[in-house]
Amino acid sequence: MDFRLSEKEKTLVEEIANFAKKELPEDFVGAHLIDQEFRDFEFEISMSKKLAQKGWLVMSWPKEYGGQGASLMEQTVYEMEVAYWGIPGAWMGISGTQWVGPCLMLFGTEEQRQKYLPLIASGDKDGVWCTGYSEPNAGSDLANLQTRAVRDGDYYIINGQKVWTSKAQHSRWCWLMTRTDSTAGKKHRGLSLVIVDMETPGVTVNPILNYYGRHHFNEVFFDNVKVPASNLVGEENRGWYHLMQALAFERRSVAPLAYGSSRRMLENLVKYINETQHEGKFLNQIPAVRHKLAEMAIDVEIVKLFAYQFIWRVTQGAIPAYESSRNKIMGDDVIRRVATSGAEILGIYSQVDPDSKWARLRGAIQGAYLGFPGSMIAAGTAEVEKSIIAQFKLGLPKSY
Amino acid sequence: MDFGFTEEQEMLRTMARDFLTKECPKSKVRELEKDEKGYDPQMWRSMAELGWMGLVFSEEYGGINANFIDLVVLMEEMGRNILPGPFFSTIALCALSILEFGTKEQKSNFLPRIAKGEAIWTLALIEPSASYKASEINLSASSEGDNYVLQGEKIFVADAHIANYLLVVARTGKGKTPEEGVTLFVVNAEAPALKMERIPTMAGDRQFQIVFNKVKVSKGDVLGTVGNGWRIVDFILQRAAVLKCAEISGACQAVLDMTNTYAKERIQFDRPIGSFQAVQHKLADMLIDVEAIQFLVYQAACGISEGEPSQFQISVAKAKASEAYQKICIDGVTAHGAIGFTWDHDIGLYYRRVRAAEFAAGDIDLHRERVAIELRL
Repeated sequence: MDFRLSEKEKTLVEEIANFAKKELPEDFVGAHLIDQEFRDFEFEISMSKKLAQKGWLVMSWPKEYGGQGASLMEQTVYEMEVAYWGIPGAWMGISGTQWVGPCLMLFGTEEQRQKYLPLIASGDKDGVWCTGYSEPNAGSDLANLQTRAVRDGDYYIINGQKVWTSKAQHSRWCWLMTRTDSTAGKKHRGLSLVIVDMETPGVTVNPILNYYGRHHFNEVFFDNVKVPASNLVGEENRGWYHLMQALAFERRSVAPLAYGSSRRMLENLVKYINETQHEGKFLNQIPAVRHKLAEMAIDVEIVKLFAYQFIWRVTQGAIPAYESSRNKIMGDDVIRRVATSGAEILGIYSQVDPDSKWARLRGAIQGAYLGFPGSMIAAGTAEVEKSIIAQFKLGLPKSY
Repeated sequence: MDFGFTEEQEMLRTMARDFLTKECPKSKVRELEKDEKGYDPQMWRSMAELGWMGLVFSEEYGGINANFIDLVVLMEEMGRNILPGPFFSTIALCALSILEFGTKEQKSNFLPRIAKGEAIWTLALIEPSASYKASEINLSASSEGDNYVLQGEKIFVADAHIANYLLVVARTGKGKTPEEGVTLFVVNAEAPALKMERIPTMAGDRQFQIVFNKVKVSKGDVLGTVGNGWRIVDFILQRAAVLKCAEISGACQAVLDMTNTYAKERIQFDRPIGSFQAVQHKLADMLIDVEAIQFLVYQAACGISEGEPSQFQISVAKAKASEAYQKICIDGVTAHGAIGFTWDHDIGLYYRRVRAAEFAAGDIDLHRERVAIELRL
């Protein structure tokens, strides 16, 4: 048993800190730290390029696909530090580095790997991906999705609608979940994963503003979109099982990100509390405030250990199952605690627009406060994740 | 980063689980709650023969040279099963500090007897103000010739009725800080000027008020040096906190397992209650807390084992474990419904131990405050 970072991992932490200090404007960390709203896409993609040049963007991928063959633990440390410093551009859209790449390596064709992986690895605009899962009638009950791909010679013809599609407005590719067999009986059979070029005629992206007015997600319409049959990922009609893998990758990434950004928030709040006076005394003299920070620190430690333990299990050859759900829940919980307790500490200023000059800590707490309910829903609600834990870890009957 | 146990640790866990399942079933736990001694001397000897008391001692002192993480593994199993008796008092509260701060003579004198199961020890620290602060140590030790004379009162001294020795935290002087002038004495528990009264507790464990009325202690029976005892208390509390967390970790796992089993068996509305999401989500929350406690404990134990400063990790673990233990027990009892509220059901044995565990080596608020200090607030 050993909870220390290796020398190599420690060096990586230092290098990323130096990179962030050099490449990011001073006081860059602000509202986007947690809600991941990088409103300047050109800047974001320029950072992707720089991360790629550093060899970090897809560091754990094999060299032949543009990676460094780094360990998963190193990649996790990298993700934690990227989140800590608020470095934009690390994900290549919402999904490129996190689950499209890893899934293609697991069950993509060699042709697909050669075509798409280097694009993601280069940090190029053409390597930016969105993910098309949710539909108006397929949220938590994703298997209910209705978008259809009908085989027509060497092509699929796709018709349907996706919704809550994050970053579709910047994406070159869509990682699309679609129905390929409507006669399969059970609704999770007959599904397939297909890659769609977002520049194909018939693809329409409409913005949906979230409740604080930001354009993060979209609805995407597919109207007779013609996609080469070679864009099928994995086996036709076994898309549900591939999806489970992709979701596991996605949920895994929540804990390292949550750890990095919550640790930064915690440090910023410590500084704020030590410097800020209220009713004639420093906030750090108020026991209730001190205990709020302590509770945050406890949750931050837990999410860190969950993130590390997950990766350690993978390196032991295990295929983690419920652990990704556990980590997703904990990651969401820690951000919620930072956001809500942080807001309580900011008091009257917690209501200020995060971009305003009135905002404390450059709006980071407000950004988290506005953003965390969205993160809690993405990739599976706590209710869904807890039902997964109950079923797959505790051996209780399926309840949904 | 390595979350794995060594083969020896896995073996120790299996051995402990088998031994405790066989030798200390819940019927035994209940019997010992009523027993005059509160522990089973024969079981105690068997534990010594298995090497548990001397686990972390060197061979020179009759031990088997295992490390602190091994001790955590053992304590997890003791907590999981519930083992009444003076193991925590003797080892966590006393032996570890003798091993670290004792003179060669003290070590050779005391440790082999502890390892053989022939000596029981306990720590007399808390006074009527019920605090872990150095400023609250008022039991006085005044120098008289070759002796110190102890005068004052200690409360919640565990297992004092069966202890051969007490490690007594006393004040020998006043310094610039409350920490200065604190001294630890080794006191023979049979000293005549020492009066004990049992404090009845909800766990049915053995805790005592001890009044020291001019108890004479030889000047040679100081652990560490005179006036510098508080750093030993700190040392003890750090380790005791982690070992108590390990006990809590095992107990929480047991409550989760018990509740999960019940959720699968209990039929209402024609199906197991574990098929309802309200129950499932409660159990999922319990599981997340159980794993959080485990990893926090292992992290803190590794820090101690490596000799790294670990106050932050220790206090994070103890604050979380204390809080989650209570929550898990309450959720466990209520998930059982009325049967969980009965004398005959085992889950109550765990719930009745929550209060003592929370206060042991520092309560939730104390450790949150420690965390705040470590955050540089």
